Amino acid sequence: MTDLASPTQPAAPSGADTIDTIDALAGLQAGSPLAAIRHARDKVALHTQRSEDALFDPALPDLSLQERLFAAWYAARLSLADDLADAYTAKLITTGAQPTTLDAIEAGTLDAIEAGTLDTTTDARLIAILSHVKLLTIKPVEARPEHLQTLQQTGITTRGIVALSQLIAFVTYQLRVVAGLKALRAAQEAA
Amino acid sequence: MSQVNTSASPVDPLNGFTFDTLGWRAWLDTVSLAGATPEQIAVLEESHPHAKTSDYYLLLVQQEEILWQRSGVFNAIMYAPGGLPRAERELASTVVSRVNGCVYCASVHAQRFGQLAKRTDAIEQVFEDPSSAGTTERERAIIRYAIELTDHPEGVDAAAIKRLEANGLTHAEILDLTHAIAIFAWANRLMLTLGEPVFPHAE
Repeated sequence: MTDLASPTQPAAPSGADTIDTIDALAGLQAGSPLAAIRHARDKVALHTQRSEDALFDPALPDLSLQERLFAAWYAARLSLADDLADAYTAKLITTGAQPTTLDAIEAGTLDAIEAGTLDTTTDARLIAILSHVKLLTIKPVEARPEHLQTLQQTGITTRGIVALSQLIAFVTYQLRVVAGLKALRAAQEAA
Repeated sequence: MSQVNTSASPVDPLNGFTFDTLGWRAWLDTVSLAGATPEQIAVLEESHPHAKTSDYYLLLVQQEEILWQRSGVFNAIMYAPGGLPRAERELASTVVSRVNGCVYCASVHAQRFGQLAKRTDAIEQVFEDPSSAGTTERERAIIRYAIELTDHPEGVDAAAIKRLEANGLTHAEILDLTHAIAIFAWANRLMLTLGEPVFPHAE
């Protein structure tokens, strides 16, 4: 948090003529004025994309890709970022998650998490993950060591908890960057 | 910089927030330097000058590639030249930390604002009540946007952008501001949920 000259990898070309995940989510057209403004901050764009790539690397051993996508989807849904949540839904379905499972989670499990009446025999590990997503997304200030112990009790390692925490926190960053860019786009289109 | 808050004060005018230098303790096992891989050491050295003695970085380096990229995002947002003045990035980061309740993050970036702006009045107001804080119209507009994007990202719209434009911010500066707010959604959540601040008088 003092002056650090530059990120750790040389910045690859990241011009306004390439579209990354944030561009796509914000509806930025290649070569548009707003895309040019965004890609003038090329290191931010580059490391944001590489963060996403690292967080959703299928080879990450500590938390399954489907568990990570469930976590990202729920963080977006709880934040009312419906377009982003839908994007994670599409990825979840490619990992084999059934749309009915998503519907069931949304209709039942999530309500049950909120009511505290969940039958935790169904999928204790996924439910623990989703509960942690809710805590970090909505009320991170209420986190206590016991919440991490709950994750550990379902077999999630320290490396898994670090990855999960980074992933949830990343989604809360990602959806705010997209929200700001969408507002900027709306302001430019209205001008 | 003035020390405006002390724990001895019977009435805490800053709601528990402080300009003091705090520590931070992890709730999970950190990587020991002796056991770290060369890749982990390299990521620590790139992340922060004191990362090798910081519980925070020694925990996050359990996933070194994720930390590597996160540090790239963070440093590019907070330290890049040009665009939104760095003091205003620190102001926004402090507002977000205040709204999210991250006393540790707020203390670090309150100090940084003081170093850059050579004053602390705006931050004292943020600690007291962010909803009315700001010493100028421009500061109030920045703070309002930081609160809105933190609490209700789904409600940020063209009108929010127009209010910033009316106070002289360009779209490039508004993007920088958006980044400075969003990266503290990320940073606050790590600091708040993987460990806790250590207060100097407690040890």
